This record gives sequence, C-alpha cells and structure tokens, in this order.
Amino acid sequence: MVAAVALQGTAVDAQTKSQQGKDKGQYIPTIWVDPDGCEHWVMDDGVEGYMTPHTNRQGIPVCRRGNVCGVMQSDQFFATNSAHISKHGQQRLNEFFRKTAATSYIITGHTDSRASDAYNMRLSLNRANSVAKVAQRSGARIADVRGYGERQPAASNGSASGMAKNRRVEIICIR
Amino acid sequence: MNILKITALVGLAFGLAACESATGALGPDKTVDRGIDAKHLSQLEAGIWVDPNGCDHWIIDDGVEGYLSARLDKYGKPVCSGIAPPTQTAGDFKKGSTNLIGDPI
Repeated sequence: MVAAVALQGTAVDAQTKSQQGKDKGQYIPTIWVDPDGCEHWVMDDGVEGYMTPHTNRQGIPVCRRGNVCGVMQSDQFFATNSAHISKHGQQRLNEFFRKTAATSYIITGHTDSRASDAYNMRLSLNRANSVAKVAQRSGARIADVRGYGERQPAASNGSASGMAKNRRVEIICIR
Repeated sequence: MNILKITALVGLAFGLAACESATGALGPDKTVDRGIDAKHLSQLEAGIWVDPNGCDHWIIDDGVEGYLSARLDKYGKPVCSGIAPPTQTAGDFKKGSTNLIGDPI
C-alpha cells in the first residue's frame, strides 16, 4: 500500500509542462499482435503514435503462437556426436523446404545436457549448419544459423525421453 | 446534457484538423485512435521495413500516426529475413486516410 502511494506520487511528478496536465504523465498502452503472433506495446497520443516490442525482463518476446514450423529429432537425422546427415535425411529435408516455401528460415541446433556445455554448443551449431546447407542447396533462403547447445531445453533432462526431445534442430519459418 | 452534446459537436468539427478526442481532454488511456481513422489500436495493419543492417521492422502508416517496432524471433534476436534490400519496404502498410489530410508521401 505504501509502495503504491509512493508510485502514484512519482506518476504525478512525471507530468511535464508540454502535456498540459491532461494525462498526468501516465501513458497506458494496449497490445498490438504482429503477423508473427508476437505482442507489441502501442499507444496513440493524439497525433503521435508509439510502439515497442512486448518482451519479458529477459528480452524474450511475448507471443501468442510460435513460428517453429519444423522440429527435426536429432536421433532420426544424426549419429551420436555427428553432424552428418544421411542421403535419406537430406531427401526428407529437401522435400520439407520445397513444400514449405517460406520467405526465409532460422535454423537452431539443440542438445541434451550430457557432455560439456562447450562441446554441446559446438555440436549443435555444426548440426544446424548441416541443415542450413541442405536448405540452401534446395533454394531456401537462410536468415540465421545458431547453436544453443543444452541452454534452451524443450523438456526435462531428467528422463531418457526428455533428453531425446532436447536433441533436436528447430526450423523457424519466416513468412 | 445539451452542453455535452455541443462540446461533442465542436470537438468533431476540430477533430479533422487535430485528430484529437471528440469527447474532450485526453487522458492517460492511449489505447484508441480517436481521430478520423478511429479504431482500437489492436486493428493496425503492418508491412515490413528493412533497416540498413538488413533486419526487419513492422511499419504502420495509420494516416496521422506512424508506428515502427522491431521484428524479433522467439529468442529475442532480430529477424533479418532478406524479404527486401536494406531501406526498402514490403507489404501494404499505408492503410490510414493519409490522402485526406494531405500527407505528401
């Protein structure tokens, strides 16, 4: 309660002369959802408009849906510790990129939490690069290739099935 | 009640020029376009502007107001799709009544 009163005090003080006391220095935004499904703060101040992405405090955008259009389970495409994709795997990827026909793609590699962080960062990037090469050969445009190692798990590393889920290459489709 | 109505009418008359609220003083609620393109701001339609580094931004020309906001992927990194060369735009984003008030571009 004390904190709330103190905050209100600051808000009134924030009023500048140019604002003529109409809004008491307070700008309440609404949400605009972009075509990717992510939120932005938006305000209309009469003749001016303002907009900025709605992110959490870690800088991650708040989105109502994802744009991950393909998840390759690494176990199906790569041998353990390898970034090589078999002929059959390459054919499957080719087909995927030809059918999807997005403007461009962001490829991110991920691992489970076994082995060292540095090793996993390297392996996941190598695997993402292998996928990007196949994509480029099929005529797809690649916006970015990244390896996140074990740092962005999709499931718990506490079980074998969770670890299998984490061993993956994600393909984000930019429309 | 009558005074309210008159105020509203006067407000409408000046609304075209000022694009301000027809109901009087502007409060802290900035969630609505009260001008000639009146609407809730969630209805804005965007195109893409590619910045000089080649990365995408959502761009909206809503008549009097212009909006620009970064296009980010799920990790918070800029999306640089290559949909158009740097400084070029893509998509139809000039939805506002720009012509009505004489915005030259």
